Amino acid sequence: MRKSLENRTGAGYSFLAPAIIFYLVFFLFPVAFSFLTSFKRWNMLTPFINAPFIGFKNFLDLLRDDLFIMALRNTLFYAILTVSITLVLALFYAVMINKARFSVLWRFIYFAPVVTPQVAIATIWGYLYNPNSGLLNAILRAIGLKGLNWLTDPNVALFSVILTAVWAGLGGSMLIFTASLNNIPQEYYDAANLDGATGFKEFWNITLPLLKPTLLFLSATGLISAWQVFDLPYMLGRNAPAKSVITVSWYTYEIAFQDLKMGKASAGAFLLFIAIFIITLIVLRLFGKEGIEGYE
Amino acid sequence: MKKFFIPILIVFLLLTSMSFGSTKLVFTVHWADYQLDGIKDKEGNIVVKGLKQYVEEYMKTHPDVEIEVRSVAFDELLKKIIIDHTGGLPSDVYGLYSLWGVELVKSGILDEPPKDIQNAVRLLFVKPAVDGATINGRIWGVPTEIDNYALVYNKKLLAEAGFKKPPQKWVDLVNIASKLTKKNPDGSIAQYGFAFLAGWDSAVVHPYLALLYSNGGEFLSKDFKECLLDRKEAIEALDAELELFRKGATNTAASVYNFPNGTVAMMIMAPWYETDLKLGFKDKYQETVGVAPIPYLKKPATCGYTWFIGVDSASKNKKQAWDFIRWMTIQTMSNGATRMGELMAKNIGAIPPSRVNLDKFPNELNDLYTQTFVRELIHTIQEPNVAQGQEIKTALMREIVEAWNGRKTAEQALKDAKKKIDEILMENY
Repeated sequence: MRKSLENRTGAGYSFLAPAIIFYLVFFLFPVAFSFLTSFKRWNMLTPFINAPFIGFKNFLDLLRDDLFIMALRNTLFYAILTVSITLVLALFYAVMINKARFSVLWRFIYFAPVVTPQVAIATIWGYLYNPNSGLLNAILRAIGLKGLNWLTDPNVALFSVILTAVWAGLGGSMLIFTASLNNIPQEYYDAANLDGATGFKEFWNITLPLLKPTLLFLSATGLISAWQVFDLPYMLGRNAPAKSVITVSWYTYEIAFQDLKMGKASAGAFLLFIAIFIITLIVLRLFGKEGIEGYE
Repeated sequence: MKKFFIPILIVFLLLTSMSFGSTKLVFTVHWADYQLDGIKDKEGNIVVKGLKQYVEEYMKTHPDVEIEVRSVAFDELLKKIIIDHTGGLPSDVYGLYSLWGVELVKSGILDEPPKDIQNAVRLLFVKPAVDGATINGRIWGVPTEIDNYALVYNKKLLAEAGFKKPPQKWVDLVNIASKLTKKNPDGSIAQYGFAFLAGWDSAVVHPYLALLYSNGGEFLSKDFKECLLDRKEAIEALDAELELFRKGATNTAASVYNFPNGTVAMMIMAPWYETDLKLGFKDKYQETVGVAPIPYLKKPATCGYTWFIGVDSASKNKKQAWDFIRWMTIQTMSNGATRMGELMAKNIGAIPPSRVNLDKFPNELNDLYTQTFVRELIHTIQEPNVAQGQEIKTALMREIVEAWNGRKTAEQALKDAKKKIDEILMENY
């Protein structure tokens, strides 16, 4: 009996082994290595073992670096605005489309940007934002307004990136909202109708509370990915005034591979991780236990 | 089974023993396909040789050497060099941007060239290129390409406004640029008098350094211990750029890439933009494009940067690698030019920095566009080969762009740049 149990345990571990090895090699080891690197001064050109240990200097340098602080501020602003606008719009469109005719077609149209490469999106929006020949300024001028320097005005550039990010991410959130809306039992609405509730009251008292787990999921995952954003700001914001669009990921990439300061970049990555962790905890707390249980 | 195995083993051993006889070199560059494979006509015949044709020629005359050419995008080249070296699989020969050389030398990645090559570089190459390949007083490779900056202007637009000649002094440039700027009824600019190159650090910093040198200023102290951008000459140079913004002759939306569509009258540009201009203007190219030295503040000056070819210190075939480099960059062909010089002038469209090449390709180096850049080599000052050069350049770019956008005065921007750059220098010198 015992032997058979041992055999089964061994078999279980052998089945798990590929996943565990993969996790160790491609996740735990790099994380541990990166953590160690964050306390060293290493430029990748010399053997890691010879790189001097400098304690918390990399972290302190980052916190004293106004560019990093600006990157943190930009990333926070980007994350909050992108996620909140995307969620509101996605929910609005999901509710509209769910009841509309040809809902599959609408879903496809809104979802198309999600499967489009970010580089292609950035290129297309780069043309739209062109201050001289872009469509957006042409529209503004047609209605008698002055065109904007969408990507080169320091007060506008980050908003332009956020607008593009919202457009690009709307479809994914909308699709998940649509699936959740379809899971709400019709009986709740029927009962509400009998009690005289309609329209907004139905939405506020039935739809929104039952979508809380979905909102939690989309907020948490949206914030996590928004905090890591690199491609859209990098592609669209390279001509933006020096600090107006830089994000933490962009900053860490630049100091790692351009300035060859791998220790400082690793420290930046860990500060980013801590920021994401704290934000995620706040989101979980804001939505409360009900949201988590509902999601589970 | 044995019947098949033994002959296969013999053939395998024969083949491997044959390959053991040759040395394999890996040569990594950042060039485009046509620069590697050559420019072909419609029938597929090569009309201008690419790097691979020279490599094949070398392999024919040196059958014991096999050379594999690898190309990666410019943005990826330094990363590839670092990762390959750290991973224990370095390329033997690299084409390098001179500014990267400092870190590579400091970390022992570059092999010091043989004495005869070092001497040849000192004797045969133009000064800014020698400076580009010199790190801490020693030569670390053979310069292959030198780039500097000049004023590129639209002859037609200038003539229409009554200007027969391009500006010689910066004050004239500001004046002409203001007059050439035209606005739409809604206030937006339809035609820019001047556009700054922007988008990456060198684009912003090099033209500024040209003005700084022209104003008699210096960027860094000779010992690299101090940034000198807080001096009067430096502030005046940036203020001279800002004058174009104040006079409405340019703004941050202006793009040099609109020059070919005739909406930009003047820009400061490097030699590598020639093909785009020819493609943009087509048959109007000759009558439209003009090139002149950068209008100066106190004296003519321009900024330059260099690419050089070097060998990885971890290469197992350093001697063969340097032999190939010597053949490619220093030994001359029957026409007196070097092969690398021919490749640069005829295919890549860059200025070959070896003096022996400068008069060998009149069609390419003495044409409408390139001749000014070649002539300006005497006024060219190589950007400094300083540790963390890229980081320093990015820090300066950020502050210049802040000033362009009116967020800082020239003095404040340069004061902030100096503070950041001094911190970087202190870590390294």
